[in-house]
Amino acid sequence: MTHRVARCTMFVTPTNPRFIDKAWTRGGDVYILDIEDSIPLAEKARCRGLIRESIAKANKGGASIYVRINKPFVDADLPCSVWPGVDRIMLPKTDTAAEMQYAHDLITELEKEHGVPVGYIELSPMIETALGVVNIYEILSATPRKIWSMGGGTGYDMAVNLGIEMFVDFDQYAYTSSYVALAAMSLGIESSGGVFVHNPTGRVDQREDAIKEAEILHAAGVRQITALHPNFIEPLCTGLAPTQAEMTWAQTVLDTYQGLLLAGESMTEVNGQVVDCYEYARAVKTLEWGRACAEKDQFKAKALARAQAAV
Amino acid sequence: MPPYIRRSLIALSIDDPKLAEKAFDSWADAIVLDIVKQAAQDWQQTLKAQMPLAIAAASRGGAEVFVRLNAQTAYAELDATVFAGLAGVVLVGVADAAELVLASAKLDALELERGILQGSLEIDLEINTAQGVWNSLEIARASSRIGTLTINEQALYQNLDIPFETTLEVEPIEFIKGQIITVATSVNGQAQGMSYPLCITQKEVDETTLKKAILRARDTGFKGALCAQPSWVKLCNEGFRPSADEVEYYKEVRQVFAEGLKRGLASVPLNGKMIDVPVDLRAEVYLEWADRVALRDQQKIQAHQQQAISLQSLN
Repeated sequence: MTHRVARCTMFVTPTNPRFIDKAWTRGGDVYILDIEDSIPLAEKARCRGLIRESIAKANKGGASIYVRINKPFVDADLPCSVWPGVDRIMLPKTDTAAEMQYAHDLITELEKEHGVPVGYIELSPMIETALGVVNIYEILSATPRKIWSMGGGTGYDMAVNLGIEMFVDFDQYAYTSSYVALAAMSLGIESSGGVFVHNPTGRVDQREDAIKEAEILHAAGVRQITALHPNFIEPLCTGLAPTQAEMTWAQTVLDTYQGLLLAGESMTEVNGQVVDCYEYARAVKTLEWGRACAEKDQFKAKALARAQAAV
Repeated sequence: MPPYIRRSLIALSIDDPKLAEKAFDSWADAIVLDIVKQAAQDWQQTLKAQMPLAIAAASRGGAEVFVRLNAQTAYAELDATVFAGLAGVVLVGVADAAELVLASAKLDALELERGILQGSLEIDLEINTAQGVWNSLEIARASSRIGTLTINEQALYQNLDIPFETTLEVEPIEFIKGQIITVATSVNGQAQGMSYPLCITQKEVDETTLKKAILRARDTGFKGALCAQPSWVKLCNEGFRPSADEVEYYKEVRQVFAEGLKRGLASVPLNGKMIDVPVDLRAEVYLEWADRVALRDQQKIQAHQQQAISLQSLN
């Protein structure tokens, strides 16, 4: 289940050898092979033809692979995107449940044709318009296909749709991102992003910004975010995993609470902090998440070593 | 792209003897006419006679003209207020979709009866209750006539029992504003409003404070505001639009992106920022928006010039 750890997902352009050929060396948890906004219209056909070989290139370092398709070209993009090795299809600017249903049906057919277990590939809607926001619950409930995580209600396209200028000093997406996250979480889908990080410059390549962003996201309990520059990968992968101190405390809470239950009690204090059923539940999640991150890191390290040896 | 260039609105009473003068001098993009209900039994007949003149008077400076009606009594009052020249009605306090469906059907009939282009009359919503907020999506979807959504903050604060505290770090109804902006955009309309705390104090403030408030309102997603003070109009007209710096920047964005496309790249850097399809699209939208604002300003200038010529010929 290492594909569920997606602390840093990064877009990669399959048509640009400089990006796709080096992706495996960068250490990302997930690479998103993009057929959408980073690919000019004239290059889209060539890009579709490169997806299958790009999967093998990008996942050499142990990363999971997503593919972002184009909303107007679902019929052309999906047959080139549904292959073994792909974990998720990202459907941009999803506005209605019908769009999800259509993509789900097509993916199901393609999974059968291309030797992928039916239902394996996730279908993640990208909520980038006001219409998508108000329809979010129906969108997420539209198909039986499992969605592990999703974000939305923010970003450039959302700004275009709302007619707002980005990179201001307050959270313009407080309503849209919260509403999307709430709908997702009510359906048991983990929510990614959704925390305001002040970025007045609009720069996306500064490592110190990535460290700051990771701290804010970590504090808010967010476990994944999309990056646009390789400088963000290491700070996000490190910053969104639990720290050693958090893991140690979680284990203490776990042991203490289990002791309490055996003694027929339900609450105590350790080092001045309350230990009860809520802290216990949180500790269980922290430990699970920490182990999953460690497993993913180990998986990536082994894959990277193999790939380097092959080179 | 905002569907309407309606950066500034001012409310004037149709009984105001200086209605024409105030509307003309305001340079507002839109005038909202308030009617005053009288005790006399035939007040609606009086209103019916008064409205065509009031609409003509209010529109002399090139403004769009609306009439503001209470949603609960609007069905009866539309007959007395809807005439050629009116851009639409502002319904105050719509609580559910059924009220809107009724009003919309009445407008269908009045358009037919009074030679107004079918479907052209807009319905704008002024939301002032929790119920209106809760049902806002359903209400906004109830008629294709919906144009803009506005929150009457003072009324909503009262309805929600929120004290009129103006120094809070966080605006009490920020989330509601986000909801209304989202709902309006989702039905291809737009939201109008001012940022906190001016939205509730409605005071005369210094230029810097007002500019800052308008910028924040614009960056929240509002496309214009009902001006509580005549002095707000000029700055709203200047603020609810792309600034000169933004126009210059977005021209550069479009140029850099176009050059990137020629090299087969749909993602190019510009001063550390990434310029890709949505950024280019945003640039296109902003530049178009700036053009439409310039056109709207030109229309109002022409209306003022025309009025001046008319007055000269009378003299």
